[in-house]
Amino acid sequence: MTEPDPNQHRAFERVWGNRPGWGALAAVNHTSIGLRFMGTGIFFFLVGGLLAMLIRTQIALPEQEIIGPETYNQLFTMHGTVMMFLFAIPVLEGLAIYMIPKMIGTRDLVFPRISSLGYYCYLFGGLIILSSLFLGIAPNSGWFMYTPLSSAEYAPGPGSDFWLLGITFVEISAMAAGIELTVSILRSRAPGMTLSKMPIFCWYILAMALMIVFGFPPLILGSILLELERAAGLPFFQVAGGGDPLLWQHLFWLFGHPEVYIIFLPAAGIVSTLIPVFAQRPLVGYRWIVLAIMITGFISFGLWVHHMFTVGIPQLAQAFFSAASMLVAVPTAIQVFAWLATLWVGKVIFSLPMLWVFGFLVVFVCGGLTGVMLALVPFNWQVHDTHFVVAHLHYVLVGGMFFPLMAGLYYWLPHLSGRMPSRNLGNWGFWLTFIGFNVTFLLMHLTGLLGMPRRVYTYESGMGWDGLNLLSSVGGFIMSAGIALIILDVVLHFRFGKPAPRNPWNADTLEWATRTPPSSYNFLSQPRIETRHPLWDRPDLPDTIAAGAHGLRDIGHGRREIYGTDAVHARLKEVIHLPTNSWWPLLSALALAVVCISLLIRTYPLALVALAVATGLLLRWSWENGAHPKAAPLGLQEPTDPPLHSRTCDGPGLWGMAVTLLADATLYLSLLFSWFYLWTVSPEWRLPEETPLALAPLVLCGLLLAAAVALYSRMTQRLRLGQDRNLLANTALVALLGVLHTAALIGVFAGADLRPTELAHDAVLMVMLFYLLFHSGLATVATGLQAWRVKLGYLSARLPYEPMVLKPFWMYTLGIFWLSVAVFLLLPMAWGSA
Amino acid sequence: MLKALWRPTHPAHTTLGLILWSLWFVALYGGLSVACELVPPTLEQGAVNWLNASLLLLTLATTGVLLWLTQRCWRAAKRFEGSSQERLIAQVGAGAHGFSAGAALIVGLPVTALPPCL
Repeated sequence: MTEPDPNQHRAFERVWGNRPGWGALAAVNHTSIGLRFMGTGIFFFLVGGLLAMLIRTQIALPEQEIIGPETYNQLFTMHGTVMMFLFAIPVLEGLAIYMIPKMIGTRDLVFPRISSLGYYCYLFGGLIILSSLFLGIAPNSGWFMYTPLSSAEYAPGPGSDFWLLGITFVEISAMAAGIELTVSILRSRAPGMTLSKMPIFCWYILAMALMIVFGFPPLILGSILLELERAAGLPFFQVAGGGDPLLWQHLFWLFGHPEVYIIFLPAAGIVSTLIPVFAQRPLVGYRWIVLAIMITGFISFGLWVHHMFTVGIPQLAQAFFSAASMLVAVPTAIQVFAWLATLWVGKVIFSLPMLWVFGFLVVFVCGGLTGVMLALVPFNWQVHDTHFVVAHLHYVLVGGMFFPLMAGLYYWLPHLSGRMPSRNLGNWGFWLTFIGFNVTFLLMHLTGLLGMPRRVYTYESGMGWDGLNLLSSVGGFIMSAGIALIILDVVLHFRFGKPAPRNPWNADTLEWATRTPPSSYNFLSQPRIETRHPLWDRPDLPDTIAAGAHGLRDIGHGRREIYGTDAVHARLKEVIHLPTNSWWPLLSALALAVVCISLLIRTYPLALVALAVATGLLLRWSWENGAHPKAAPLGLQEPTDPPLHSRTCDGPGLWGMAVTLLADATLYLSLLFSWFYLWTVSPEWRLPEETPLALAPLVLCGLLLAAAVALYSRMTQRLRLGQDRNLLANTALVALLGVLHTAALIGVFAGADLRPTELAHDAVLMVMLFYLLFHSGLATVATGLQAWRVKLGYLSARLPYEPMVLKPFWMYTLGIFWLSVAVFLLLPMAWGSA
Repeated sequence: MLKALWRPTHPAHTTLGLILWSLWFVALYGGLSVACELVPPTLEQGAVNWLNASLLLLTLATTGVLLWLTQRCWRAAKRFEGSSQERLIAQVGAGAHGFSAGAALIVGLPVTALPPCL
């Protein structure tokens, strides 16, 4: 490969590279952040694996007392929690963060500082959860934290709080990744890379990212409600107060089932990327696979009740979910047949990554078949909460995620190290893992069919489970030996691995057009891409990119620049200037960690102070944007065709806001669902005789908000037309209206006759009011800051971008306000009078 | 803008069918749950009652709309040659609509056999 001119390389590294020493903690570069996510994920995987070995040791033989019941409960809860929340999702997010910009031919993700914040939230949240284990106060109610087992009555210690607060903290990271991957894929692909030319891996990641956006908010809401119940006594899940413990199950599985596919889809994306490379021909049925990805993404949200078949739901409803659960096998089968067809018509190269792909095909198809069995209601009733379910979920998750991840690891290892792993060690690692896994979990199906329940710390001898459990434990240790060999191989290859040749697998996708290991800027010049297989159709691309033959090769301006293109046709629209290394994400995450810890130890004044500090840090961070001197101040040396994104009315920030609002709306819909669910189902739900909120002040409050939104909309329309007369006065007036509206809302709240610890009805109203206050307050503060920015010259007709980004937030705030008035106030009043 | 959205080669059609399916599914499950709480049909009526009939009608209407959208996208796909962007979108749209139609019919069919609130 042609190396770039050393001077130009140094100039690019100065702009794009990380700071030396401790300064590396301020890095925002996607390669660094992706690697950190994956490295941390692997650490948590080893912790989770160690817990699994302790569990298998305890139940290897009957009537053992190596581990007591309380510790055992903590171990299986933490094993599931660590593997699902701290390993599987983050490691795949890390892979996507590392890989996506390279595959779509750009230099970074569109919100690099958000990546960094996401990583630190994940790291701190993970460590907080893990610390509970070492303190002996880990959660012990199972990884899905069913109420009332996890409620204050049956779990009085802080274990559940660690889970609820820690996981919510970690979920900030998942949401951040979901939003920025979605926007990056849609708005920063190489010019010419239309949707139909996009690498198949990007389709999978796009689906995963959107599923995170829609899938996580129900759990975030559920966690907030349960923590409020535990800490403040709000009875969302207590029947006596008008709540219902089954609400938690609905909220959890509304997240939990899509999560399985959030984990599976990127892993399947790895398989769909590798198989064509090792078959040396394009993927058969690209369109079918795109279709299958979309179907999986949607249908997976319609299956959650199959986790609840035994809770007393009407048979007809169970039949709906049973049929929907079987239907999800269709898109999965489409993918499996497309992979088999590609292998069938290609000339397969049997290398190490392919070994893991074959292992995946065998194990995952078995897991899928037992999934179809579990979709059958009568069978599900029989094996519910037995080891059969444990075996099934491990076949799906280990087969569907871990095996493809290992295939990807061996495939992309030369990319990140520039060296090849050992084939011998790798083969041993695979076979030990494959054999160990099947010995452990294939037999566990039988243990389950023989009636062994999950989550029992010991069992009597003579139930027919003794030998099977012993063999399962032996299998677990064989698998551990396999994983140890893989780790050894990876570690050794950095020192002893043969230098990797250029594009060692003759792959077709753009990540192999970078240097290996990659430089901080990926591509010295950004090419136009009009084929689905750029490196097969244009093998000279790595050379021409390094030689600076394509766009954005100038770095003299000192900005981190990438191309912004339109979502469908990838037509060049603008030059996106990205923020550089920064301490703000780390400091903000630290402040949020203090909030989390102070809530855990119930030191609420400290939590309030830390929250104020975190808010201040986040706002200060947001200040360095657009035309700020530290971002892209107006100047002579800036492109006009296409222009910088902050000089336009459209850009990644606007898309980021739209996707964020989708997640926000999902959270709000989850609250509406909770309201209607409790109203309909909870046997003790009571509507107060008189509404606790005063209607007239609330309407006045809404009119103030409507006036603010109308004025703001008019202002943005004028900016769009290039008119900025009275911009400062208008922005300040909107902020003032926002202040009045927020103050009026606080007044309504303060004057409300709410009894949130007695009635679930009032508790939900209280959460709704806080939700409205948060949005109104944030919109007001942001507009106030914009008024200040107008004064400083960061906002004008030439710089109209920021109001365009904030406008949808104002509109959303107005929408939820009136919807809340209608649903939470007017509807109960109408119902009461009827 | 609405006119552009309605064209079968608009990317919105790749998810429209699945969104309609999701809305139908929410209406089906939500409608069943609410009706069973508020105005449940008597058990003696078995599967033949006003609630199941309403759910069946809803299912058939949704399936019909989805099949019509499938045909619309399929016809549009035929108008484009090779591997153009428009052809991909229309084909994927036809597939998504068609799958959604089949899924609505399969998931909704139990209303013909099972009593609703048991």
